[in-house]
Amino acid sequence: MESESPVETKKSKSKTPKKAKESILKQKSPAEFFAENKNIAGFDNPGKCLYTTVREFVENALDSAESISELPMIEITIEEIVKSKFNSMIGLVDRERIDEALYDDYETAKAREKRLAKEARAQEIQAKNAALGKKVKEHAISKGAKSRGEASFYRVTCKDNGRGMPHDDIPNMFGRVLSGTKYGLKQTRGKFGLGAKMALIWSKMSTGLPIDISSSMRGQNYISFCRLDIDIHRNVPHIHLHEKRDNKNKWHGAEIQVVIEGNWTTYRSKILHYMRQMAVITPYAQFLFKFVSDTSDKNVTIKFARRTDVMPPVPVETKHHPSSVDILLIKRLIAETSKQNLLQFLQHEFVNIGKPLAERLIGEMGPEFSPKMAVKSLTDQQIVRIHQLFRQAKFDDPSGDCLSPAGEYNLRLGIIKELHPDMVATYSGSAQVFEGHPFIVEAGVSVGGKDVKQGLNIFRFANRIPLLFEQGGDVVTRTALKRISWNNYKINQTQDKIGVFVSIVSTKIPFKGTGKEYIGDDISEIATAVKSAIQQCCIQLKSKIVKKMQAREQQERKRNLSKYIPDATNAVYDVLKEMAKSNSSKKKRYEEGDADILRKVSDHLITKETLTEKLTQHVEKVDYEMALEYATQTGVREEPREDIYLQSLDDKDAESVICMNHDAL
Amino acid sequence: MADKKKRRRPDSDSDSASQPFKNLLKSDDQILQILESFTSSFSSSSTSKPLTLADLALSTTCREVSDLSLSSVQSAIESLVLQLTHQILSGQGFSFTIPSRSSSNQLYVPELDRIVLKDKSTVRPFSHISSVRKTTITAKILSLVHQLCLKNIHVTKRDLFYTDVKLFQDQIQSDAVLDDVSCMLGCTRSSLNVIAAEKGVVVGRLIFSDNGDMIDCTKMGMGGKAIPPNIDRVGDMQSDALFILLVEKDAAYIRLAEDRFYNRFPCIIVTAKGQPDVATRLFLRKMKMELKLPVLALVDSDPYGLKILSVYGCGSKNMSYDSANLTTPDIKWLGIRPSDLDKYKIPEQCRLPMTEQDIKTGKDLLEEDFVKKNPGWVEELNLMVKTKQKAEIQALSSFGFQYLSEVYLPLKLQQQDWL
Repeated sequence: MESESPVETKKSKSKTPKKAKESILKQKSPAEFFAENKNIAGFDNPGKCLYTTVREFVENALDSAESISELPMIEITIEEIVKSKFNSMIGLVDRERIDEALYDDYETAKAREKRLAKEARAQEIQAKNAALGKKVKEHAISKGAKSRGEASFYRVTCKDNGRGMPHDDIPNMFGRVLSGTKYGLKQTRGKFGLGAKMALIWSKMSTGLPIDISSSMRGQNYISFCRLDIDIHRNVPHIHLHEKRDNKNKWHGAEIQVVIEGNWTTYRSKILHYMRQMAVITPYAQFLFKFVSDTSDKNVTIKFARRTDVMPPVPVETKHHPSSVDILLIKRLIAETSKQNLLQFLQHEFVNIGKPLAERLIGEMGPEFSPKMAVKSLTDQQIVRIHQLFRQAKFDDPSGDCLSPAGEYNLRLGIIKELHPDMVATYSGSAQVFEGHPFIVEAGVSVGGKDVKQGLNIFRFANRIPLLFEQGGDVVTRTALKRISWNNYKINQTQDKIGVFVSIVSTKIPFKGTGKEYIGDDISEIATAVKSAIQQCCIQLKSKIVKKMQAREQQERKRNLSKYIPDATNAVYDVLKEMAKSNSSKKKRYEEGDADILRKVSDHLITKETLTEKLTQHVEKVDYEMALEYATQTGVREEPREDIYLQSLDDKDAESVICMNHDAL
Repeated sequence: MADKKKRRRPDSDSDSASQPFKNLLKSDDQILQILESFTSSFSSSSTSKPLTLADLALSTTCREVSDLSLSSVQSAIESLVLQLTHQILSGQGFSFTIPSRSSSNQLYVPELDRIVLKDKSTVRPFSHISSVRKTTITAKILSLVHQLCLKNIHVTKRDLFYTDVKLFQDQIQSDAVLDDVSCMLGCTRSSLNVIAAEKGVVVGRLIFSDNGDMIDCTKMGMGGKAIPPNIDRVGDMQSDALFILLVEKDAAYIRLAEDRFYNRFPCIIVTAKGQPDVATRLFLRKMKMELKLPVLALVDSDPYGLKILSVYGCGSKNMSYDSANLTTPDIKWLGIRPSDLDKYKIPEQCRLPMTEQDIKTGKDLLEEDFVKKNPGWVEELNLMVKTKQKAEIQALSSFGFQYLSEVYLPLKLQQQDWL
């Protein structure tokens, strides 16, 4: 590093005089900013872009359906578009390469020699293995690294049965970055109104193709169709087509279609994981995921069937808690409020401030404040004073009523579906507060299951969306790994198959980093809540595990005891033999009873076998007695039963249940 | 004895700036005088016979083992095995009654200044799933020790473990049961003819006989003499030393041995390289009892240093059944003490912050009776926990590698700065 720096300074020195044009003051539109910094929103590379696009569409669709209390039904289709097809789509003629050496993936003669030699060697080994009768592994077809030009394109379509969008709002909802419906203080999946717009910006950057939106609202007799892209420099929508079409099926919802560059090969598992975990945390939704390509063996169709019709309540919009606001926010609230005087303002624009408290607060602010003063006339200094008081005064914690956790029932369903565990326990904590925002932590811990790897398998959810990246720094991962002593709960951290599910909901999730990817470990309130939720689950599991261990012990007691009989009798008999020797040679005198035994040992009346037999008899007797005792103690127990959800088998659903296919993963 | 001028003292006018406090040092003769007067007053005061459990009328409620001859160990085992045989033949399985060595069964007796074992026992039946393994191992160890008695040989704990690796699984298990067995038979572990590998070393002004050979510890080279594992073969101790210097760490020991510190100030230097083994503790006790010398301890300034000191002084919980033979009363804490860090201006970079675990250990130690009885120790430990700093003996090397032997220790001795 150090050796580099002088070079750098040299460089910059030499460059500065050239660069010394007068700097021009430029302004950037939000859309431009996000186009240049698309990694902020999770659009780091083509693969991640594909993943984030799917994710944003799914989350919007869920939010939309839930907002009208409709059981969500979401179809996601990713269609692979090969280059020639893409070219014909945009009306570009496919051109053959003429100057081969011009291209980056051109193979020189030397490189070809090397590759052929390598392939020949591999073949030789394979032939040898085959000759030896070894099972020949399917030799992975060496995929040449994709060269720069060889981009893959995908058409991503997402269809839902949600609220839909008003006809006239559609252009602005998609074609203007940082405009949205989710800016209120409310538990939502999305937050900044960025997701779908980023997908549009990315499509514009990578393919230049516009986005297609169809939407209809409940009771509308038409479908709005809109094809648009975004004018990045002005941050305004650029409409190609905006029309009303027939709505024969009385469909409501939205269908969005976008063509982007992506990378299915590397992000396939991430996308599937995401869908799978989304299905875990929203078991009341139905997802149909399709991947379509020209090579049919790559195609994937997965249906995540609905497993319950119990939907968590719609999260309600809440007012700000006085301890969570800043000066800017107070100013905004003042500008927006319909209340006239300070007393009403305090009373109605914040939670946990009643009339008496508001009066006391105004009294405390100082003589220049009065309950009746007009709230819009507050000076900047006065607002700072209010802010200071809000920071210092004591308020009741905000209640968690405005939150909508997944619920223990849903979590449990999801875990059972996902892991098929031997045991599962769930726990839902009470609402707690971090910087004036209420949050609820729910946890589930499972042990065992099929296709679960040994050790900790951690599943994280924030506001009911799965978090897949940056696992290492996350508060849940760190808590589960470092602060839970699994041993105390008779769980073996390395040997057992442990599933840890933690879902955190809040009006504001304190994500770390730029994307919505992980929650930092530095917030002690959340860390403590996560720890205690996991511990509560473990406590429930422990009693189950102990019972299981007892049962196993019952079965294996006799075998475990009998295992030690030879060692024990050998040890005793060895000493007896030596004693018998010295007794018969009269080296040592023993008392009459003992001498009698020793004589029998010398005369082979008492042998190793005698001792073994007696000990075996004793073990059998003990085993019988203890088994009897165990049986009387435990008696007949019945596990509490759980309601199960049966899907209705009318019309088209019937077929879908049959094609339910979760093994495809 | 050894030639006192094997190593010349370095010139006194060497740079005192890099070795602070050197100018405070008096001449060696003056320090020796101080030490001689201390040692003579010490040996005259410590002539009284040490107290035993019987003196305190505790012998019924506390358990203690004694050295037994081989034949009595043998007959103890034999009568036990006969008992077992009777039990088995009558169809009741068999079980051992073993004194509990858990921490709840330990008692610190201030009058004796050591930990003793109370009289609680546990039954170890064969026909219970939780104890079947241990019971079998106990029977096996008994039969092995019986063989040792018949053949009159010594083996190491490792040897014992390797007789049946499959059953014992790891050495910790056979070692623990060995302690159980000696506790059950009421004899010391050395009476079972099982020894631990040599760990401790001694160097300095000491002559003793090991299995008939006379050993002069001034002529054992730099490494010193390994402390023999079977103390019963050690005898005829002679010394012209003024004190015994107990060192926690091997590194400090090597420094002192190479500098021939024992020739400048006649002393015996002992180390067990960390936690002391049984042999070293027995040896230290024997030296102290026979030579009547004061014992000064040089340990790290951290909770573990003090813990090691306490094991020499009051015994470990694991071996409390034999604390009468294993502990050396009245060990003085010479250094490095927490107060020395500032007193000797040990630079910040040589001090280490204590971890949470360290602080917890320190606080736990403050609750221990053997610390509480010595107000000076409590004060030092409080200081350590408060400053949250620890330092190893090697921290003194920041003033030069020989600072320990040339300035720190002489100055400490001159000021009689021990607790």
